[in-house]
Amino acid sequence: MNLKSAFGRKIVYLGVLVAMLVPLFLLGQPAAGIGDSGGQLAEMRNRFNIAESDLGEISPASETMKLASLGLRGVAATLLWNKAHDFGVRHEWDRLKATLNNIALLQPHFDRVWEFQAWNLAYNVSSEFDDYRQRYHMVGEGTDYLTRGVRQNRKASRLVWYTGWFYGQKLGMSDEKKQFRELFAEDDVAHEDLLEEGIAVDSPEALGPLGNPDNWLVGRLWLNRGYDLVDSGVKIRRQTPINFFETGPKWRFKHAEAIEQEGVLDERAQNAWELASEDWAGLGNRSIPVTAPFTIKLDQMDELVRQKEEKDEQFRELVDDATEQVIQELVASLPEDQRNVMDVPDEQLTPQQQAKKRTAIAVTRPTRAAVARATDPAVRLRAITLAGEIEDLEARINKTNGYRKQINYPYWKTLAIAEQEERTVRARRLIFEAEKANADAELDKAIALYEEAFEIWAEIFDDYPILIIDDTAEDLRDSIGRYAAVIDSNEFDDDFPLKTFIEIMGGDGPPDPEVYEMVRETQKEKLEQRRREREAEEKRLAEEAEAQAAKKKAAKKKAAEEKAAEEKAAAEKAAAEKAAEEKAAEMRAADDADAGDSEPGDSEAGDSEPGVEEKETDGDGSADDAGELEEVGEVTPAGEDASP
Amino acid sequence: MNLQPEDFWSFYEWLLRPEAFLESALLQGVVLIVLSIVVGLVFGYVISAARYGPSEGFYAVARAVRDLLRFDLPGTRLRRVMALARLAFKEAIRRKVLFVIGLFVVGLLLAGWFLDPNSSDPARLYISFVLTGTNYLVLALALFISAFSLPSDIESKRIYTIVTKPVRATEIVLGRMLGFIGVGTMILVPMGLVSYVFVTRGLRHTHVEVADVREVGDQLQGETDYVRSHSHEFTVDAEGQGITDVVRGHRHAVVRNADGGFTIGPPEGNLRARIPDYGDVVFYDRRGEEKEVGLNVGDEELSGGFRSSGISRVIGVTRGPKKLEHGYVEGGTLCAAVFTFDDVTPERFPDGIPLDLTIRAFRTHKGDIESTLRGSLALKHPGKDIETNPIVFEVNEYEVDERLLELEREGSDGDETRTLNVFEDLVDEDGRLQVVIRCVDRGQYLGVTKSSVYLRPGESSFRWNLTKAYISIWLQMTMVIAFGVMFSTFLSGPVAMIATAVCVLLGFSAEQIYDTRHYLDEGIDRGGGPIESVVRLLRQDSVTTELDVDALASKVIKTADAGIVYSLDAVATALPNLPKMVSTSEFAASGFDILGALLARHAAATLGYCLLAFLVSYFFLKSREIAA
Repeated sequence: MNLKSAFGRKIVYLGVLVAMLVPLFLLGQPAAGIGDSGGQLAEMRNRFNIAESDLGEISPASETMKLASLGLRGVAATLLWNKAHDFGVRHEWDRLKATLNNIALLQPHFDRVWEFQAWNLAYNVSSEFDDYRQRYHMVGEGTDYLTRGVRQNRKASRLVWYTGWFYGQKLGMSDEKKQFRELFAEDDVAHEDLLEEGIAVDSPEALGPLGNPDNWLVGRLWLNRGYDLVDSGVKIRRQTPINFFETGPKWRFKHAEAIEQEGVLDERAQNAWELASEDWAGLGNRSIPVTAPFTIKLDQMDELVRQKEEKDEQFRELVDDATEQVIQELVASLPEDQRNVMDVPDEQLTPQQQAKKRTAIAVTRPTRAAVARATDPAVRLRAITLAGEIEDLEARINKTNGYRKQINYPYWKTLAIAEQEERTVRARRLIFEAEKANADAELDKAIALYEEAFEIWAEIFDDYPILIIDDTAEDLRDSIGRYAAVIDSNEFDDDFPLKTFIEIMGGDGPPDPEVYEMVRETQKEKLEQRRREREAEEKRLAEEAEAQAAKKKAAKKKAAEEKAAEEKAAAEKAAAEKAAEEKAAEMRAADDADAGDSEPGDSEAGDSEPGVEEKETDGDGSADDAGELEEVGEVTPAGEDASP
Repeated sequence: MNLQPEDFWSFYEWLLRPEAFLESALLQGVVLIVLSIVVGLVFGYVISAARYGPSEGFYAVARAVRDLLRFDLPGTRLRRVMALARLAFKEAIRRKVLFVIGLFVVGLLLAGWFLDPNSSDPARLYISFVLTGTNYLVLALALFISAFSLPSDIESKRIYTIVTKPVRATEIVLGRMLGFIGVGTMILVPMGLVSYVFVTRGLRHTHVEVADVREVGDQLQGETDYVRSHSHEFTVDAEGQGITDVVRGHRHAVVRNADGGFTIGPPEGNLRARIPDYGDVVFYDRRGEEKEVGLNVGDEELSGGFRSSGISRVIGVTRGPKKLEHGYVEGGTLCAAVFTFDDVTPERFPDGIPLDLTIRAFRTHKGDIESTLRGSLALKHPGKDIETNPIVFEVNEYEVDERLLELEREGSDGDETRTLNVFEDLVDEDGRLQVVIRCVDRGQYLGVTKSSVYLRPGESSFRWNLTKAYISIWLQMTMVIAFGVMFSTFLSGPVAMIATAVCVLLGFSAEQIYDTRHYLDEGIDRGGGPIESVVRLLRQDSVTTELDVDALASKVIKTADAGIVYSLDAVATALPNLPKMVSTSEFAASGFDILGALLARHAAATLGYCLLAFLVSYFFLKSREIAA
């Protein structure tokens, strides 16, 4: 090998290197600013918005770690995952956490990692601790981990949703939810972190009835952040939109349920249910993408049905007798044996013939499109368009109905309405107090409270039978059990208010699905009925209030007139007295005493007014109750029919 | 820290294994040395015979052995060894190995990015970080400096300037080894000092303010401010002296000033070196019958646990892993865990019996959520029916619950109830004392292992403990240098380095190899050996399904796999137990004194391997001299 050839070779190497640098430069050149989109990679990064700065907060530690693994990031991550598992087996929680941090540094934009490991901490690791405070701490570690994930992945809507889910579900639905909720309410450090994160835990939106942040409401704020994110154009990934959007409003329900369970049974609970109802209505009016090329609104069902009926009517008018004609054509096209069995009653047919008949009937049912095609050419185009529109509406109704069922939309809607009522809150309070009295061994008091509560519950169930699938119903069944223990009898008289309820609830499990389905169907008209009742009630109340106001005004006027008259009389009297002072000096004392007597009489009249008002209000209340009872009387037989 | 059976052995037990000599380290060492000599001689003869013919070859080998015994070993002079060591040292320094210290310092500076500030035991995290960091860095350094030196000397013919001088091959080998060890030591010492500063400074913090101070009786109670993700509650007595509670493994002294303010001292108790005195544990089941292990609550089993069986496992006498898992005792039954401690004397425990507990809790039902599970402990005479009344305690999971048991306690002596004295009534004539742990809550379980309950006769200093951890690292480094020098006598630099690295890695993954062999031996389907695993990977088959290839191919694969696994098993058994040595740092990190026996074992093993490496190196160097 001589010097020349060695030099030549070096030159060739250099040439190859330079040649390879050119495509590398074209591919990898970074964007330098305006008007310069950079190389191919930079362009693609822009197009898909996956530049590090677009994805989330830039973490120097993460970048260093990725560089330090010298291209073996995958291997390093795998080793760390193994290590993390190993630490879990060894119950080395601190090291597990440290390893998870390192994994997150290596895979900061792999959102499943955040999700999986946060779950691991909050659910698996936390349950390994015996002390509930340590468990709470570990749940906090899980939510912190997720929060970091959110920071690093600005567009991972699912991570945001998941965080909101953790705050609600883990803190609010665990065995130790009471303790967790208390700890969270007092956890100033967590609140500060949340504030820094932009979650307004100090706003009324997040505060519970006692003025502390409530985990359900904080979770809801997180979820709302996710909804804002999606509304701003970020896609929902790895999750169905209905599931994504349902959770936030649901957390309001959970919040209301939680505070009621904790004994907040007054207007604050009512208010919570009102807000839940509002949120649920918001969900009902949200456009939700579905597995069809259109979006739906859950609350639009009635409107869709109305539109369909209207269009159906138009269609019928338009096609006139074309339907009959198409049917006849279809019947004519049937094989003879099928045609023959069509009009014969089922009982005269063999099973094979019955099957044939069913097929024939199905085949001869004309589609709207077929009918439209068969109409008069003058209106045919219009008929075909209408048929298409009706089919579209049907598809929408179908989807809407399916999605409504999927999340039990009508149930929650009804629940929120039922729970907003003062009597529901009262019934809950009575049960709460009855349980307390029972626990304190004040049996007579407990029985009285139980019975009073059951009366109200019976009314509520009559108006909202759908509530029998609620947790409340299960709790109530337990309460009835305890009541039975207190009165020492498992037999209930026929006039026991919740007789029907006990029959429907039956054994230990949830109520019969068939009963439930029926209940669900009847609920709608009941709801309507109840709405009308309440409107009527409100109207009556308003009228009465008006009448009362008028009465009060009249009474006041009268009182004022009387007073004026008396004053006048007194003044005249005084003048007369003055004039006759010398003459009737001995009579003065007696006159004065008369005037003095009359004044307390006035004040008594004044005092009595609020008293009368109170009495009247009570009277209204009892009148309402009586009215409701009457309605119950009407409704109960239906309920009995419903029982299997 | 979950210790395994071999952790409790004394040096003598480790060396000789009185009841299972086949498992002993001595046997393993002797077998290894004898095997190497035999293999070396045979190998040497084959090479020589190929070069010089069968009879000349024999003489050549015999000459080499004679030279070693007759001239080189007796003629080795420390002066020459030191001169050569100095050369190796200078050479290494010239290769700028001291940069490693800088690298380490940079690593420490960036450590804050990777260390979890919310850790519940920061001391442990910091200490294990510095020790693991040092360990891997120093091992890598040892690998590089030892493997390249001799080959580059030989390649550049610099070696002639040495071998032409009156030095012996033994001196060359020893000189290199000592020189590199010197360099390593020179690097390790500042790293240790920097680590100490890093740990102590990293953990130092002060709480400045106090909040919520209220009077309770004649005491003051309050809370410190929130610093480094924690705050403490404290109590100050009437004289103004107080202390905080333990959070994240430390507490602070609190002093009330004359002006009514408070001064909070530096953190105390986070850098410790408890000296544990472990006992033996037996379990009693629900019916009160003695069992070797406690109840299993379904925890996933730890991996590994084969290593301690030594030669006896390789030849198939001992099968299966040996490991200590947590055994559980059920509450409200006759279940109990009884620990027997030796050498309980008034001299060792003059003020009471210091007993530390780290107990796990396991619930089978929700129970009372707000209170933790309760256990009870009682002191018992090993032979007689004398037992103190149970002391009920709340289980403090994953933390060391330190207790000092009084020497006099109420208890029962047969049917009589009286005050018992530990040394007079409960300790037997052999100085043994039993501690009985039970679970109080019915239907719930408490879990212990041998290392969960121990007496703590004293406390060592953290500095000395850290030093011991560094000594362990130093021993590992020495071993790697010896291996590196050995390989560099007959392989080129990069190959020698790779060979040493493979030895280190094989040593680290020995347990997995033993595990694989165990599954092969027992016919358990876990994906088979290396070839089968690759096939499964490519076919995306699960490990538990039957290997989906035709019968002949399957037979070939399995046979080849068995050959590979058994060879790897033999090699891995012959290699030093590096993971065990690395895990010494765990003691220091967890706040336990590194057991002297453990360090002595590591030192003995290191010496043995160095001796082996020295012999092998000598013969290879000699053969190269001859060849030259």
